[in-house]
Amino acid sequence: MRIPILKLYDYLLISIQVELDDQTALRFQEDLLNKIHQEGSSGVVIDLTSVEVIDSFIAKVLGDVIAMSNLLGAKVVLTGIQPAVAITLVDMGVKLKGVPTALDLEQGLEKLQQELER
Amino acid sequence: MQPFIVEFIHSRKDELVERWLEELTAVRDKNLENMSDAVYQHTNREFIQTILHTLDADVEQTGERLSEFTSRLIKLGWPLGYFTQGLQTFRRMVFEALAAEEDDAKKVYRLSCDVEEWIDSIINQFVNDYNGSWESTINLQKMALRELSAPLIPVFENISVMPLIGTIDTERARLIMENLLEGVIEHRSQVVLIDITGVPVVDTMVANHIIQASEAVRLVGTECILVGIRPEIAQTIVNLGIELGKFPTKSSLQKGIETALEMTNKKMVDI
Repeated sequence: MRIPILKLYDYLLISIQVELDDQTALRFQEDLLNKIHQEGSSGVVIDLTSVEVIDSFIAKVLGDVIAMSNLLGAKVVLTGIQPAVAITLVDMGVKLKGVPTALDLEQGLEKLQQELER
Repeated sequence: MQPFIVEFIHSRKDELVERWLEELTAVRDKNLENMSDAVYQHTNREFIQTILHTLDADVEQTGERLSEFTSRLIKLGWPLGYFTQGLQTFRRMVFEALAAEEDDAKKVYRLSCDVEEWIDSIINQFVNDYNGSWESTINLQKMALRELSAPLIPVFENISVMPLIGTIDTERARLIMENLLEGVIEHRSQVVLIDITGVPVVDTMVANHIIQASEAVRLVGTECILVGIRPEIAQTIVNLGIELGKFPTKSSLQKGIETALEMTNKKMVDI
């Protein structure tokens, strides 16, 4: 199971529409980093609207992916985190510090532009 | 119930009722002092008639009649204790009358068991009806309290306010967080102001709940501003060493709204 990564101008768009298992998450991490490297993208939006459950491992992988992407010079914005997911993350103590978030894809792209302008 | 008892009570009905009324008037409850004598007497008579009615009719019918009677009294605010006392008094009177009539102790005992059972079933129904009414009242109040507990109000496009009033416990904190997140998604708010003007005490626990809620709000992609911090709350927060973290705080809702407008690239102008 691979998660498709779409390219839009200088950005990469990812909409995660499956419940992430450990394997998929790790493969996604690899794919995304390769893609960023290949395309030289400056921004990434990961949309989690359809994700209803996140466990601590997936949360850690997501945090790692964001940190790694930043190292490659790409800003990452998370969008569409569901209330239940947000509550679980906070309960688990996963704060995703310094990660920009937005309500949906549209606002995510705006946020990304703001971030890149800074 | 033995037919003998039914007949016995029927034959002595008038005498019993009169004595019962007399005795019950003597124990008239404090709560009922304000009630007019006419209403009081009338209800008492209705009460005893309802009880006597259960002697003849079948179970289903009497149940209905009793329920109807109790629900009316519950609405009028008659205390439960008064009726259980009234029933117990009546039971004692029947015993006394039976004992006076019969010499054979064993027979009196058997008869009194029957009477006991009869009165107890009525008492049980009274208690159950009252209990049900109390429970439904409490449930209604709980629902009302929940609704008032944590409302999220959209004030401008993309800006919402959640005013909090009263003490915050763990259960309420959870409710606040859920309402906050769901409201933010529903109203598509970019900035949400949590107003704690009405929260009397902010201790580490409350602060922790608020911090958690704002973290969660940030995760769904919305900014959180804490407003309504009074001087004494600022002192407590610093004295307790609470880290309110990175999210902005303002002293009043007014200032908070100004900041929120700035954050969403809007501003108010005089015209």
